[in-house]
Amino acid sequence: MFTKFFDWYEKRHDYAREWIAKNNGEVMGCFCSYVPEELVYAAGHLPHRMLGSHEPQDVTEPFIFGMFCPFCRDVLAQGLKGRYDYMKGITIAQSCLHLRQTFTSWRNHVAHDFSHYIYMPNKVQTDHARPYYNAELIKYKEALEKWTGKEITEESLKDACDLYNENRQLMHEVYDLRKGPDPKVTGLEAMVMVASSFMVDKKDHNAELKRILPELKSRNLNRDTGARLMIVGSEDDDTKFIKMVESVGATVVVDDHCTGSRYFWNSTEFTGNLMQDIANRYIDRVPCPTKDWEERSRFPHILKLAHDFNVEGVIMIQQKFCDPHECDMVPLKEFLAANDLPTLFLEFDVTVPIGQFRIRVEAFLEMLGVEELF
Amino acid sequence: MTEKTKEFWRWKEYNWHDEAKDPKDVETISAGVDVGSVSSQAVILLDGELYAYSNMRTGSDSPNSAINAMNWAMENTGLTMDDLHYTVGTGYGRVNVPFSDRAITEIACHARGGNTMYGPTVRTILDMGGQDCKVILCDERGKVKNFLMNDKCAAGTGRGMEVFADLLAVSIEEVGELSLDVEEEPPPVSSTCVVFAKSEASSLLRDGWSKKRVLAAYCSAMAHRVVSLLERVGVEKDFAITGGIAKNSGVVVRLERELKLTSLKSKYDTQIAGALGAALFAKALVEKQRKKVAQ
Repeated sequence: MFTKFFDWYEKRHDYAREWIAKNNGEVMGCFCSYVPEELVYAAGHLPHRMLGSHEPQDVTEPFIFGMFCPFCRDVLAQGLKGRYDYMKGITIAQSCLHLRQTFTSWRNHVAHDFSHYIYMPNKVQTDHARPYYNAELIKYKEALEKWTGKEITEESLKDACDLYNENRQLMHEVYDLRKGPDPKVTGLEAMVMVASSFMVDKKDHNAELKRILPELKSRNLNRDTGARLMIVGSEDDDTKFIKMVESVGATVVVDDHCTGSRYFWNSTEFTGNLMQDIANRYIDRVPCPTKDWEERSRFPHILKLAHDFNVEGVIMIQQKFCDPHECDMVPLKEFLAANDLPTLFLEFDVTVPIGQFRIRVEAFLEMLGVEELF
Repeated sequence: MTEKTKEFWRWKEYNWHDEAKDPKDVETISAGVDVGSVSSQAVILLDGELYAYSNMRTGSDSPNSAINAMNWAMENTGLTMDDLHYTVGTGYGRVNVPFSDRAITEIACHARGGNTMYGPTVRTILDMGGQDCKVILCDERGKVKNFLMNDKCAAGTGRGMEVFADLLAVSIEEVGELSLDVEEEPPPVSSTCVVFAKSEASSLLRDGWSKKRVLAAYCSAMAHRVVSLLERVGVEKDFAITGGIAKNSGVVVRLERELKLTSLKSKYDTQIAGALGAALFAKALVEKQRKKVAQ
């Protein structure tokens, strides 16, 4: 049922090239999920979130530090290997240091026509962030208009916001089908659904979601749900890992990743000032740990997700060297333990050692429900 | 074998069975086989009581290692594979045990086996195996409450110790005692990588260090490394060590010194903890299976 999403995700470059040919627009590489894609879309371009390919590589060493996170190095490798030779524009919304330098390295070493750095405020827990980000978005809008030579009209912007909100709503509906005792969607499918939404035109994505949703509601996966797990942490589109987890007696029923629920959890609310509304949507979204301070507002949200989706255990993953998440892992583990949620911590790299992770996951599952053995 | 080609790392392989027990006389014969990365053990229980076991080197092929270990445990017992009512496979090769009824992780099995070997007061089990190290917190039944494994490196494991035994031409069984025979504790070798540590040891030898002193420095490094793993989880009393390194007094004594704790001692062979736990789970599982059938 999710074949189309897998196709899009696996053949992302084919899709992008076809989209360019059909739509007379360009593809905009978005570094970080804080890039306001609505503006890019309203300007007539296809936003495409940059992800890696999970293949070992040796091309990034002179261009980025070896102790930068594997995700960032994997992303940069895609550019250096020429896999994005069709992509003319790149944008970053200020995120972690590693991704910022990945963007800079890309700008220095990979051909492009347009690049823009949006100074997304890290301190989102202040009202100053709202007018600040609004002003940043106005600058970005002007830069896009200058590049395309076309004005981004209020109407096209509203249409883009509506389209994006619809996509968020539809993905919510799919996530809701994971709450019951027999989830209708596996964690792998949900992961690829969200990851593909970074890469395809939301019109196509919405159409496919609308097509599968009625069928999905009555779907029977014909598999044991096993332990209901949540997965949280750094960027994660590691399909091999989640597939392994779901093959040893568990189902991932929800996540807190920027490549998962965090990407679409909140919508743009309209108050009459569209640019401010878009800015607010990003300021108010479930934050990345780089922005989640002084209060760690994400923790109660994660707990609510765990309760809403009847989670029994949490896998905490961290991309190696991902400092923002690493700083959160200890308090998050304590917070979840205090709320009776056992955790398993794993450190990810470009490729993960499946055998070594499998024993840890299996032991974690045994720990969650070993009664029958005694 | 000349001194030059002698393999100092090669530990003794052995089997044992309790001649006072008769396998014909029991309700349940359960078995566990632990195919580790370096060694494989098989354990046979008669109604939950230890009857026979074997301990041998894992070969290149997991299924054969499992078969060999089990056959060796059954040697001179009159038992055959067909007599085993239920077998649980565990360890690195657990999914490749051709005759097992179920696979359970070595983490659960070490906790269960450790509970029997050291008694129900044990709360922290440190398994120091051939190629990894695990800290397991468990309850009074031997159920896992939490665990942590070392990552990505064979330093602090049996394989590392084998490398040192070979380098220094000291039989692996003698490493521990020799390392304690130093007047003053040397600083630990600074590296935590086996290969780098070996290079460092070579230069210490060139500097005139005695073998004993180098061994002390390596055992000390291993103890340090394991303590940091233990501290990440937090050691709860009572504390016990399983696996091959538990037989190395040089590491155990230094570990106890650093932790300011004494580890429990057992009459069981520390290397059979995983297979023993597997065999105990096998007993519980076959009994549940019988109950189900009876209903």
